[in-house]
Amino acid sequence: MPFNQKPQKFNANINTVEIGYGDKAIKLGGECTFPFYTFDAPLENAPKVGVEISDMGLSEIPGIQKFYEGASTMAEIAKKAEAMEGADFVCLRLEGGDPNGADKSVDELVAVVKEVAEAVTGPLVVEGCKNVEKDSELLPKVAEVLQGKNALVLSAREENYKAVGAAAGLAYNQKVGAESAVDINLAKQLNVVMTQLGVKAQDIVMNVGSAAVGYGFEYVVSTMDRIKGAALSQNDNMLQMPIITTVADESWSVKEAMASEEDMPEWGPLEDRGISMEVQTAAAVLASGSDAVILKHPQSVAAISKMIKELM
Amino acid sequence: MTLFETVFSGNDAVYGLTEGAINAAIEQHGADKAISFPNTAYSLPCYYAVTGVKVGTLGELKEALGVVKTLMTREMRTHDIFMSGVATALCAEFIEVLKYIDGAAPYEEPCYGHLADAVIRELGVPLVTGDIPGVAVILGKAPTTEDAVALVKSYQAQGILVTLVGDVIDQLAEAGMKTGANVRVIPLGKDVTAVIHVVSVALRAALIFGNITPGDAGSLMKYTMERVPAFVNAFAPLNDVIVACGAGAIALGFPVITNQEGVSEVPKSLIVQTDVSKFNATSLEARDIKIKITNIDIPVAFASAFEGEIIRRGDMQVEFDGSRVDCAELVQTVDASEIEDHKITVVGPEADEMELGSKNSIAYVVKVAGKNMQPDFEPVIERKFHNYINCIEGVYHTGQRDMQRIRISKDAFNAGFRIKHIGEVLYASVKNEFDAVVDKCEVVIYTDPAECTRIRHEVAIPTFDKRDDRLKSLTDESVDVYYSCILCQAFSPSHVCVVTPERLGLCGAVSWLDAKATNELDPNGPCQVITKERPIDERIGEYEDVNEAVQKFSQGALQDVSLYSIMEKPMTSCGCFECICGIEPFSNGVVITNREYAGMTPLGMTFPELASMTGGGVQTPGFMGHGKHFIGSKKFMKAEGGIERIVWMPKELKDTVAERVNATAKELYGIDNFTDMIGDETIATDPETLVAFLTEKNHPALSMEPMM
Amino acid sequence: MALTGIQIFKMTPKKNCKECGCPTCMAFAMKVAQGALEISKCPHMSDEALAELSEATAPPMKTIKVGAGENEYSLGGETVLFRHEKTFVSKTRYAVSLCTCMDDAAVDAKLAEIQKVDYDRIGERMHVEMIYVNYEDGADKDRYVEMVKKAAALGRTLILGCKDVEVAKAALEVCKDGKPVLNGATAANYAAMSEVATAAGVVLGVAGADLNETYDTVAALEKAGNKNLVIDATGTSVKEAYANAVQIRRASVKDQDRTFGYPTIVNVAALAHGDRTLQQALASLFTVKYGSIVVMETLDYAEALPLFGLRQNVFTDPQKPMKVEPGIYPLNGADENSICLTTVDFALTYFVVSGELERSGVPCNLIISDAGGLSVLTAWAAGKLSSTSVANYIQENVEGKVKSRKLVIPGKVAVLKGDIEAKLPGWEIIVAPLEAVQLVKFLKDLTA
Repeated sequence: MPFNQKPQKFNANINTVEIGYGDKAIKLGGECTFPFYTFDAPLENAPKVGVEISDMGLSEIPGIQKFYEGASTMAEIAKKAEAMEGADFVCLRLEGGDPNGADKSVDELVAVVKEVAEAVTGPLVVEGCKNVEKDSELLPKVAEVLQGKNALVLSAREENYKAVGAAAGLAYNQKVGAESAVDINLAKQLNVVMTQLGVKAQDIVMNVGSAAVGYGFEYVVSTMDRIKGAALSQNDNMLQMPIITTVADESWSVKEAMASEEDMPEWGPLEDRGISMEVQTAAAVLASGSDAVILKHPQSVAAISKMIKELM
Repeated sequence: MTLFETVFSGNDAVYGLTEGAINAAIEQHGADKAISFPNTAYSLPCYYAVTGVKVGTLGELKEALGVVKTLMTREMRTHDIFMSGVATALCAEFIEVLKYIDGAAPYEEPCYGHLADAVIRELGVPLVTGDIPGVAVILGKAPTTEDAVALVKSYQAQGILVTLVGDVIDQLAEAGMKTGANVRVIPLGKDVTAVIHVVSVALRAALIFGNITPGDAGSLMKYTMERVPAFVNAFAPLNDVIVACGAGAIALGFPVITNQEGVSEVPKSLIVQTDVSKFNATSLEARDIKIKITNIDIPVAFASAFEGEIIRRGDMQVEFDGSRVDCAELVQTVDASEIEDHKITVVGPEADEMELGSKNSIAYVVKVAGKNMQPDFEPVIERKFHNYINCIEGVYHTGQRDMQRIRISKDAFNAGFRIKHIGEVLYASVKNEFDAVVDKCEVVIYTDPAECTRIRHEVAIPTFDKRDDRLKSLTDESVDVYYSCILCQAFSPSHVCVVTPERLGLCGAVSWLDAKATNELDPNGPCQVITKERPIDERIGEYEDVNEAVQKFSQGALQDVSLYSIMEKPMTSCGCFECICGIEPFSNGVVITNREYAGMTPLGMTFPELASMTGGGVQTPGFMGHGKHFIGSKKFMKAEGGIERIVWMPKELKDTVAERVNATAKELYGIDNFTDMIGDETIATDPETLVAFLTEKNHPALSMEPMM
Repeated sequence: MALTGIQIFKMTPKKNCKECGCPTCMAFAMKVAQGALEISKCPHMSDEALAELSEATAPPMKTIKVGAGENEYSLGGETVLFRHEKTFVSKTRYAVSLCTCMDDAAVDAKLAEIQKVDYDRIGERMHVEMIYVNYEDGADKDRYVEMVKKAAALGRTLILGCKDVEVAKAALEVCKDGKPVLNGATAANYAAMSEVATAAGVVLGVAGADLNETYDTVAALEKAGNKNLVIDATGTSVKEAYANAVQIRRASVKDQDRTFGYPTIVNVAALAHGDRTLQQALASLFTVKYGSIVVMETLDYAEALPLFGLRQNVFTDPQKPMKVEPGIYPLNGADENSICLTTVDFALTYFVVSGELERSGVPCNLIISDAGGLSVLTAWAAGKLSSTSVANYIQENVEGKVKSRKLVIPGKVAVLKGDIEAKLPGWEIIVAPLEAVQLVKFLKDLTA
């Protein structure tokens, strides 16, 4: 008696959200199964891998320095990032806007966005500085300068969703990231108020929060599992937005990826630790249902993109 | 003249002018001459938005005028007024576009005339976010230059965008006031037709931000009515044309406020306010605009970091003590017409008239009004006072109702803090946190001892009594809806609390009134309305609607729950329950234990052991988490016979709930001092000893029907 | 359908004899329903009740034990597909692979490297728990046996990847006391392999050319009486391995197909030979999705730190947060004169707060007291974080060791400031900002 396979195909889909324009546009989401369950039904679109670059320039990591060798302007950095093996899109992070950090002016950052947008031809994701007040001022300007690029603007949060949502989603026709803190109900609530604001559900990509593995990652797994479960089995259309996860940012800021080799000689090279953290976190969020991940090390991008290809 | 006649005559006049102007233009330039406003992708934005047709030439403009004519019906219905108003506005747009022929620049500093799409996208965002809480359209000539300046400044201070049409522009210029988009005061033009440029902003906002399809006039007007918080201030004297334009504004949902006497008023739409200094307040109330208070005007800091501050006697300037003298704190719901927003009155001596270190009376009454305000929310707001007052640097508050105690520190006093500032804090906090229900708020603070006595005994206590009676009379049967609460889903993914008047949330912290207020204040939040219209089984309290809600909020993990049974489809438990109740088979009753009690129970399980078995949003027949207050409820496991089944509780818990439990037992079963029959840890922690005790006491559970 | 505690209780003798170790029959029944105790622990259960209950309460996936002594590990026994439904019970175990294709020097190097990773993370020892010793067809038997012996000497649980019956038998001779897994049964050799495994008393690993063949082979082994199995889900591609691992878990747990009710092995070393980065991605993937044993070519510190962290997160009770040990944690080279900050013992809070404090570079003592593993506001609401709990902890455990008398308390419990001041004379109590991300600036300003 052979094994009786019982495929679990749902009569609901994750929304398909297109970002970018022309031939190079990409589609996020669209699936009707749990992550990579190709044995249940074919996967509509493979999850996508983005490369993070920052207005603060390149990180000190030797492998990253080497990859971008010769690139000195943001435009050159962006072009190299776009050409990275395995990259589907570029994510520009405006971390310099943080009032508790470099506190760059909105104009200065918008100029960076413009420079990058003119340099790349593929899809662009722009991430704010995470300070809600600053982002609510910055991201509308970013959305404005990106008119016609069909970019994804990260992120609208509970505190500033109106400013970011109205500008990116309504005034300038971009796609909007909806970011909440690792909780299915908060994620859903934000989607509800965003759509009430007038942003179309099909224009929203969720960032449901993340953590590096080992750092409360169980909440990430369960939140994503539950969101995909509700979206597919309950046909909950306020949870059917595809999920994007900013992995680089979480991974490279934990102790394992930051402790110096002098402090932790037995741990080995810092770069290896960072890559490990990034790759393993990315694989785990993809296994939990993320439709796109943002990474920064070329080796991580190559490995994760290879894993996705092999799973398709 | 009636309003009909005025509007129709104004409309006809404008139509005539427009027709003449278009004909003259065609004569001069030919019908194929292109016409457009600069920097817009929306053609003639108003005409395009209303009809869905783009106009590009003078010939097409003439055709469009024919369409406008069809709107100008002359029957005596409100609809005809509105449509004539819209027709007037469209005519104004046609006249204005003619000014731009051949790329002319008809407007010069400081007037803007037509506004580019980019300006709308930029202004639209703060409008949608509420950073620009409203749009004022000021039209005509203010009685004096000072009036004009004062009115514009009052709007500016509230962040309201001001647009100007007519002589008021000159009045501001005369006073040397700065205008321009950067200061959010935009002079449009001196002709009354220039008003169309702000209408054009509103309609393009609807197309851009509301995804309205051009030509879908119904949705368009709904959008402007609901989402564009604009209003018109039209100064006397009004002529027919202005009134006709006003009708157009009203059609879009924008109320018109005028100081012209003798105009026939239309409630909420056409309002006469002869006192120009009250235009601001009248307009905001008419358009339902609420201004966020970002800065509380007090001489000390206000932040949650000061919440835990304690003022010791030596550091204290004055204190107020409800346990010694007459004090009270109260929220009163009143009609909007009875109060003045942000009015703060101190009746009696101020802090600087009180002796250092003295004990005084204080009673503050916060009067609130709002369309969605309900007396049931009064205690919910009142309970926050403690938190508000404690957040003031150098001020300390404990207690509530008529037993509060407040101390003001010397430092705060020396920094200039006075009793009236308590009013400022209460006003600002209530308006900010409860803006969904409170439209207007006024605070009266009494420090006069006789007045405090009067307020306490004649106003406050009767109100508290009334509320307590209301609480007692609130039963599951007496209300139409229950509420869900999913605050705990972060820990217990599938758990849903169904909160009813007689069964509060199992954490003990969310009562039916709290849930109701939470729902009203945050309609997308954790508490949602659950109807109870389709009962399945009254005995165990099962409803189809409740089941559907539970299925939805648990994302399908739970199928059905009963409200009153512990054995059949019991409600799930999250993990933050105050108590757990579990079936004790040998006595045929139930044992209740609470979080604070760490010891063994006759079930053979401690609270943590029971918690690990019943938590997590899973149904565990025979076991249930609940709040302490639920123990005295008549609905407590009603399906299995009610509180008569309780055979054991930790002593401390038993003492806490004794009064209510005994009262309920007396009422339901005629048993006196029922808690004396209930065991506790001083009597038994194993089933055998417990049963012996129950037998001796002749506990009713022993002879009841078996639970399983 | 699982039975409720009440249903089980009805079948107990209701004598409260305590012989099962529980104070009452009700407590026993509840524990059985939870899966915490086996029904057979009750000596007074009637045979029919026992039979009925054993069937009904038997887990859909068997718990298989491998290894001996302190290296004994439970595999499988899972009851759900998603961790929010119920705790995943048996952690994924990681094995590093050796192969007859490696030369002796490489083998020795690898064995030396395996021992390097050994550390503690939130109370759990993290090290390479298993070694996979792979036999390539046609390799020298004696050399394999020597290799197995060497690997066994490390005291880790072994997995013998060997499809040759004779070689397997010889290898087991030298290591069977350590209860290794013999991963070598196929459709072709299962009968003989099963005999070898049974004789040595070890768990047998089963693989097939595809899922159907695996299924049939497991069924045949069960029929022959061997239910001490694990299933090798690796197959020939990443895609196949993933499909196998998911479908085996789903068939057993969701569709109650007991034939697939066994733990799985996924050999990512074989799937991504030579690609260290991809192997890590796959190890992470199969930790989240249902691998009971994951085999890798290497597991050095860089790879281990995230992987063990992930495992520690995923295999937790969804209702019980992870806790850190109470104590004084000096950061950035703090000494007894450095400022003190306190927060709760909820692991997530600890990690977030300590991360920010480290980022600030300001030497400080992070003081963690027992707050029941709850977050700040939850602990406060539950009474586990109070002025008394903080003050007592400081007086009993901190005052003797730290000279600084500045204590920063979480911004969310600013309300405790006055009470703590009253209970801790001599201390200056400072309220921190509401969010951890604001700590860096706050601390810098405070100590500037």
